[in-house]
Amino acid sequence: MKKMLTLAVCALMLTPIALMAKDANKKNNDDPLVVGLIMKSLANEFFMAMEEGAQAYAEKDGTFTLKTMGMNSETDFDSQVNAVDSLIIQGVDLIVLAPADSAGMVAPVKRAIDAGVTVINFDVTLDKEALRAAGLPEEFLFVGPDNTDGAEMVGNYLGEALGEGGKVFILEGNPGADNAKQRKNGFMKAIKTHGLELLASNTAHWETEEANTLMSNLLTKHPDVQGVMCANDSMALGVVRALEAAGREDVLVVGFDNIPAVKELILNDKMLATVHMDGTEMAVLAFNAGFEIIEGKRENLGWVQSPLKLANKAFFK
Amino acid sequence: MTSKITENTRWRSLINVFLKEVGIGVVLLVLVVAFSLAAPRFFSVLNVSNIFTQISINTVIAVGMTFVILLGGIDLSVGSVLALCSIIAGKALTNPSLPFGTAIVLAVTLSIASGMLIGFFNGFISETWKIHSFIVTLGMLNIARGLALQISHSRTIFNFPQIFKDFGTTTYFEVFPAIFLIALALVVIGTIILRKTVFGRMIFAIGNNEESVRLSGHNVKFYKVMAYTICGGTVGIATIMYMLRMGIASPILGVGFELNAIAAVVIGGTSMSGGKGSLIGTFLGASIMGVLNNGLLLIGMGDFARQIVTGAIIILAVILDTYRNKLSAKFNA
Repeated sequence: MKKMLTLAVCALMLTPIALMAKDANKKNNDDPLVVGLIMKSLANEFFMAMEEGAQAYAEKDGTFTLKTMGMNSETDFDSQVNAVDSLIIQGVDLIVLAPADSAGMVAPVKRAIDAGVTVINFDVTLDKEALRAAGLPEEFLFVGPDNTDGAEMVGNYLGEALGEGGKVFILEGNPGADNAKQRKNGFMKAIKTHGLELLASNTAHWETEEANTLMSNLLTKHPDVQGVMCANDSMALGVVRALEAAGREDVLVVGFDNIPAVKELILNDKMLATVHMDGTEMAVLAFNAGFEIIEGKRENLGWVQSPLKLANKAFFK
Repeated sequence: MTSKITENTRWRSLINVFLKEVGIGVVLLVLVVAFSLAAPRFFSVLNVSNIFTQISINTVIAVGMTFVILLGGIDLSVGSVLALCSIIAGKALTNPSLPFGTAIVLAVTLSIASGMLIGFFNGFISETWKIHSFIVTLGMLNIARGLALQISHSRTIFNFPQIFKDFGTTTYFEVFPAIFLIALALVVIGTIILRKTVFGRMIFAIGNNEESVRLSGHNVKFYKVMAYTICGGTVGIATIMYMLRMGIASPILGVGFELNAIAAVVIGGTSMSGGKGSLIGTFLGASIMGVLNNGLLLIGMGDFARQIVTGAIIILAVILDTYRNKLSAKFNA
């Protein structure tokens, strides 16, 4: 009886492995270029959408084979290192990488370059000092958005709506994350431009429930708040819910990322605006920059900006 | 002579009860008084109501966790199971072919049933193969998170029925949020189960001395598996409360919830080695964590300092608890 059970449980545990393995074997062998796309956490819907978009693009384009790899979590930097190393061994031509650790990923990037693989850094910049220390140029090509600019854009939009002296909160992302710092800087610029009053700036670690708790606590402390700047949309969801629970319809909320859930909120005036960032577009820009480098048409230096758009009511109509 | 002894015993048992149950309540009281003095808006109706909302989900998970910890076990999978249940319930809730009422009933049923089923697996596997629940539930933590991500393709589920979301922000008598009343009801039901039923007494007995319970001919495995199933069931209920509160279901929610629940249980005086503890304590433990998080922000403490102080208070509360136990043992001697 127990043996049967053991077998049944083992079989149950192995089913997902078998299912995944089937997916992994899909591959075209006729294409000359092989591209490895290494993203951060696929638990993040931004990267999931990017993966699907990039796969669809590769299939339509048909000139290259795409291998995509995602991590288990945003901070799973070990498996990203392993992913780079395994792509080097597989002999890919191009690695497109969104580093989980700006400084820590420089060493594997160097290994790839030494092995003759072209590497494109996208989404989050590699650390300049670590690049220099590894003997790579500080201006190593980066494909990605200007987070500071995006946050300033949506912050300015909020500032215009509130007018001078408007009272605001900032909900920050993970302390230590580069994009969290850049987005906060962008918000601060907008606050300065429009003469807004910053009542509080706290982190909710990108997280909906934490943002909800933080927002209801901040509302108690500063009931006179008029606007909230959230460093991502997941936190904005929690903020909007806190305002609903408190019966406050007068507080304007802006976010960042344009995840699917905010469209309805913006159309129903629960949220003022967000920043639209297109992951697929960013990945495709990175692929093309990589192809140009391989063809010798471009140097692996500089910054290819991926566009950010203000997503307000008009954007969704 | 006789009456003197009776009186003496009565005093002792009163002091005992005080030390056992109220001890941690005093810590909570001190915090509440201190914050009320330091932050003028702390003791307002709105803020108290906010704190009630904020502790509800952790309280419910911690109720289930208490059953498991009373047995000397642990359940690390609760946060991931919450995410998985939310995806299952979220799919049911947003199914366009179902009328609102049916969708809501189905979502609640599926969430609780899925939670109980996973809890059953945790207990069953751990008991059948004699693997410590730490390992089994650590495995389940990954399985449930992976399943949630796989089923949802990492997407957040939203667009819940308005009536469902409205209930999530309902507050009775201006201070009691609906989800807090659910949490309170579960604390009461759980306390009755632990104190007044054979099942409850068996949980304590097994936690104290599993071998002697087994030798006296009881089916230890049944009670242990049941405790994990109950824990899973409370996670299923907590999932619905989360969805009521946030209006979304997401495969990435609930990260670290197991640690908050364990902290609430331990602050509440339940022993990690099992056999000793109470749900009132667990509720007070969750309250202390909620009050700290809220109060420290209201007095204007920064993010990092808040994290440090919360950690320190968890350790202090448990140190206090050991003194309380020594005192209580003295009075019992």
